[in-house]
Amino acid sequence: MMSNAVHASHGAGRSRWINLASFAALLAFWYLITAPIVNGKPLVAPLFLPSPASVWQTVQQLMANGYQGKTLGHHIGISLFRFGVAFALTVLVAVPMGLWMGMNETVKAVLDPPIEITRPMPKLALLPLLIIWFGIGEVSKIVIIVLALFPILSISAMQAVRSVGRRKVQAALALGASRAMVFRRVIFPASLPGIFTSIRVSIGIGVTMLVGAEMIATSSGIAYMAMSASDFLLTNVVIVGSLIMAILGYALDLLARALENKVVHWGGKEG
Amino acid sequence: MSAQLQGSPPGEGARRAPGVPKVRFEQVTKRFGKGADAVQALEPISFDIAEGAFTCLLGPSGCGKSTLLNILAGFEQPTSGQVLMGGQPVRGPDPRRGVVFQQGALFTWMSVRDNVAFGPLATGKSRTEAARIADRFLEMVGLAAFAKRYPYELSGGMQQRVGIARALANNPEILLMDEPFAALDAQTRELLQEEIKRIWHETRKTVLWITHSIDEALFLATDIAVMSARPGRIKATFRPEFARSADPAVVASPEFARMKAEIFGLLREEALTAQRQEAE
Repeated sequence: MMSNAVHASHGAGRSRWINLASFAALLAFWYLITAPIVNGKPLVAPLFLPSPASVWQTVQQLMANGYQGKTLGHHIGISLFRFGVAFALTVLVAVPMGLWMGMNETVKAVLDPPIEITRPMPKLALLPLLIIWFGIGEVSKIVIIVLALFPILSISAMQAVRSVGRRKVQAALALGASRAMVFRRVIFPASLPGIFTSIRVSIGIGVTMLVGAEMIATSSGIAYMAMSASDFLLTNVVIVGSLIMAILGYALDLLARALENKVVHWGGKEG
Repeated sequence: MSAQLQGSPPGEGARRAPGVPKVRFEQVTKRFGKGADAVQALEPISFDIAEGAFTCLLGPSGCGKSTLLNILAGFEQPTSGQVLMGGQPVRGPDPRRGVVFQQGALFTWMSVRDNVAFGPLATGKSRTEAARIADRFLEMVGLAAFAKRYPYELSGGMQQRVGIARALANNPEILLMDEPFAALDAQTRELLQEEIKRIWHETRKTVLWITHSIDEALFLATDIAVMSARPGRIKATFRPEFARSADPAVVASPEFARMKAEIFGLLREEALTAQRQEAE
């Protein structure tokens, strides 16, 4: 175990350097093809790809002046708000529902068909209908994200319950645990690793849905900023918007992973 | 009040009347599945386990010995017949029957101490009392220093010790052990066999132990029941005296070798039958 840990940390240190070098090479490539090297003209026109320096300038401008009368913080904030509300709502409803489906055959028989039938449907296709139903406000955007995440989270919570080792449950029963105690102290914690995996998967999908929803019929949010800037050929702003979305997705995944490591430290290990 | 007039608790009754066995299997059968696909796992089985006995069930794979244990544990219902403990029919899992599994039954998300304290907590002890009991039994299996570790940080042998401590912590009347050492390497298994013998001498628990190993059975058991290939029934019983002996050289005695050879012959026949069944 010791030697494993040593190898792992050694390997991690090495691959971190490679990661950094790869990242630096990418930046250098960007710099080279956008720098005015040949005849004072860059290889790629700024309209298609502005230089790193000018993108950085745009970041500073956006931070100072905002975009279309709203601060950059407002755009980021509203995007995070939509995602956060939708995500929290889905986790709070879909996970308990999935757990219940896993525990109870009747509940599963009732709820499984609607979830399974709608699962393969591309949810973004419902956005026009949702706009008619809920208007172009926040509700339709939140609903579309919830619709996309609900089946993932509920089905995986159900499967997590159903794959809890039979012996663990039998052991708890033989130790005198009530049904409630078996659920609270055995089935629920045993399901958590599976639930966390699906939470991480749904963060990626949720951010994608957020971007999709913000590109249609809205006047705020980071994806809206990028989309509308594209109409005016403001390539710099488009790139800044894309980068912010990328960082947002990455940060959310990091957060989920940190939470996962803290809460389900036993994940993937048997004993 | 009225309960006391009608009869004493099952455990008490068994102790007062030495004629009543701790456990009695009465014409227990088990069939899995229905119709043409049904498999008769157990023929009518009747046998007794005396209070304080260490009974080993020996038999080829698939002979139904685990099914028999699961029925006594209350995890499975017999198709017909019944199991009595202290004169009372078994209806479901009960903390008076402690179960130790082969592996994979520890609560991976709980510390070793919380694993062992689970039973006492489940049966109504306070948190501090449960932790105190857990520490006492961890001491007994030599894991006091590992109370705060998690099961996945321990070796396979240590995990089985946790499982044993966890089952003992409820102070059950009988311990049911389903090949608890089968997944361990030979050295660890031998050490744990000596340890379980010591614990059995210390606690005087009634034990039902399932194993493939004739040596293990002869070393530990006061009673051995050899089961036939499926459908399982008791083919022969033995009452070895080696488990009561403190002399480790007993395993080298001619009597040990004779009984081993006899059981080996019985088991070989049944293992061949079991193999033919599997090939069909």
